Amino acid sequence: MRRRHFLQYGAACGASLMFADGAQAQAGASVTAALTIEPADVEMIDGVRVFMLLFYGASGARPVLRATEGDQLRVVVRNNDSRPHGFSVPGVPGASIPSIGAGQTREVIFTAPRGGTYLYLDPTLAPINRLLGLHGALIVAPLDPTTPAGVITPFSRAAQTSEVRAVFEALGPPGRFPGRPWSPDRDRIWMFSQIDPALHRRVDLRQSINPASVAATFAPRYFTLNGRSGFDAAHDEATAPEGYIGEPMLLRVLNAGLATHSPHIHGNHVMELSGIDAAGAMTVRANLLEIDAWTMSPLDRKDVLLPFERPPDIPAAAYPMREEQFPLHYPMHCHIEMSQTAGGGLYPHGLIADWTILGPTPPES
Amino acid sequence: MADNIFDGTAQDAGELTFDTFGCNVFHANPPTPDRLAPDINFELGVRFGLRLQTPDFREIEVWRFDWEDRPMTNRWPSPAIIMRQGQVVHSTVHSRSNTHTIHHHGIDCSPFNDGVGHTSFEVSGRYTYQFQPSEPGTYFYHCHKNTVLHFEMGMYGPLVVYPPEGPGHVYSGGPRYDSEKLWVPDDFDPRWHTLGHDAGLCGDDPGLNRFDPKYFVVSGVFAPNTLTDPAVVVRALRGERVLVRLLNASYGMLRTTLGLDALVVGVDGRALGRPGSPWSRPFTIPANTPFELSTAQRYDMIVLSANAGTYPVKFEFLNWITRAIQNNGRGIANTRIVVT
Repeated sequence: MRRRHFLQYGAACGASLMFADGAQAQAGASVTAALTIEPADVEMIDGVRVFMLLFYGASGARPVLRATEGDQLRVVVRNNDSRPHGFSVPGVPGASIPSIGAGQTREVIFTAPRGGTYLYLDPTLAPINRLLGLHGALIVAPLDPTTPAGVITPFSRAAQTSEVRAVFEALGPPGRFPGRPWSPDRDRIWMFSQIDPALHRRVDLRQSINPASVAATFAPRYFTLNGRSGFDAAHDEATAPEGYIGEPMLLRVLNAGLATHSPHIHGNHVMELSGIDAAGAMTVRANLLEIDAWTMSPLDRKDVLLPFERPPDIPAAAYPMREEQFPLHYPMHCHIEMSQTAGGGLYPHGLIADWTILGPTPPES
Repeated sequence: MADNIFDGTAQDAGELTFDTFGCNVFHANPPTPDRLAPDINFELGVRFGLRLQTPDFREIEVWRFDWEDRPMTNRWPSPAIIMRQGQVVHSTVHSRSNTHTIHHHGIDCSPFNDGVGHTSFEVSGRYTYQFQPSEPGTYFYHCHKNTVLHFEMGMYGPLVVYPPEGPGHVYSGGPRYDSEKLWVPDDFDPRWHTLGHDAGLCGDDPGLNRFDPKYFVVSGVFAPNTLTDPAVVVRALRGERVLVRLLNASYGMLRTTLGLDALVVGVDGRALGRPGSPWSRPFTIPANTPFELSTAQRYDMIVLSANAGTYPVKFEFLNWITRAIQNNGRGIANTRIVVT
């Protein structure tokens, strides 16, 4: 038996699905996700190998859990590490397994919360095990996502604000955002984290670490998006948004790390649709600012709308463009620029993703 | 050549993306695609070697942009470029040495004009960026090569877009203001200011993941001089509506506390509640209530007072991990709003 998994960079780091088919079928379903906690050696973008602890699902590391609001979720977690771990979904009452001993299997049953983006993690020795890699995304589809006018949003009707309804009803018709309405398959998960190899090494060596002392000494050298960074994140299909003008996309942005990020997007301004309140509960925004940078504090999760509008500052007389051609490539990167490094340098191999506008209008089909 | 490079980003981006990052960054000096006659033009050259005197009587070097076609300012931050909504703007970078770019932050233009090396090209000679700002508000421009270092070294300046009729309203028909002030808090880690322009790009480890600022500035003025320097202090008459344009250019969270209520009327170059944005509206930050901006965020705020007085303003520079005030609690810049 291998002691550890090995994740080569650019391979086997992608998200996989759990709960998926059964959970999407109908509300109130009882669905099960089986996770394991595994030690792994993971190759960073500069070739350095770092010890990590990862959640695994049936199809690989860092599984995404997907469910529908109201589902009875049974999460079964087997701990294949030699240290105790746990499981919880912050902001969701009852979604917690306080401790899972080495080699043990524990489970929890809880009701899928209202539609939105959630973070699952190992809360033990916080923030250590979460930083070591034990985190993932739980995506909950709303039970009734439509506005009173029948337009689909990412949020349950009861949670929608009139401003969110106004934006989603403006996506598609002639006017501000001509093209297509938003559809639930137009989303990307952006999970941010940071890696300080010295901390990982200490855990691997079983040194005693006071969790309260971690922040003061945390010196991350790698800054990841869905487990990748730099070129690999920018060119990862599961990460990089792609579409035509008029095909809005929802970005589900989470920060499992300990550093605050300031993601800045080029080409379009975005709207922050939701966030969490002081108690960790999801809240849908009632004042939708159009912004080009937003704040991602540790444990933040925000739903952000990338409208895929025609970049509005291309001169009108130069559009449609004749010499410069589609597709149009733009970056999203954190503007607290230390996060743009890997191994102390190698700009821009940190927290970055590209997004691409394929053409001026959506294809007929 | 022109056809090839225009096609290059579109169909075969391999050579023009990350693939050539590092020691051998792709660079070019192409003609501007889809070029129009400009309504306004800026010529900005890269200048190294300006040494600022710090409050503890040391010197720290900054890199910057300065005018190429008119008398240089020889100052830092780089000169403001000011334009009006709807103008066709040309902004030319003269790299002068090595490669650089200008990214007009918040301007949503085409990739050729976006100034990002890894989605287009870096510039070794000169290149004219073209755009037509669609929304009035506060922006900035900066070099986007080895940005982690070049931005910290000071290669940025303000970019302000007025409505077509000029200053005085946040947008055409929008909230009125009488005067304006630009506050750009920034922080310097002197260790970084001894590095070469390409530090880290070739696989060396210059420690650009670690930022430990020792100096704190607002709009080019070092703290504690910010308390009295007229470049930072706001002076207004009773009832005068001052538009404060606040940009966080530091590498961390900026916590700001104003002694007056502030009506936030724009964020990141987008006026709140303007036509076409019914889902947003201005909001008030009550006096003495701290608020935070992360790096590159901008707030446009109207402040005023019916009563004469001196109202304190405090900027606290917070570490991006610990959220502690930088430099063992010394990372603070104070200034004032003086109403007479």
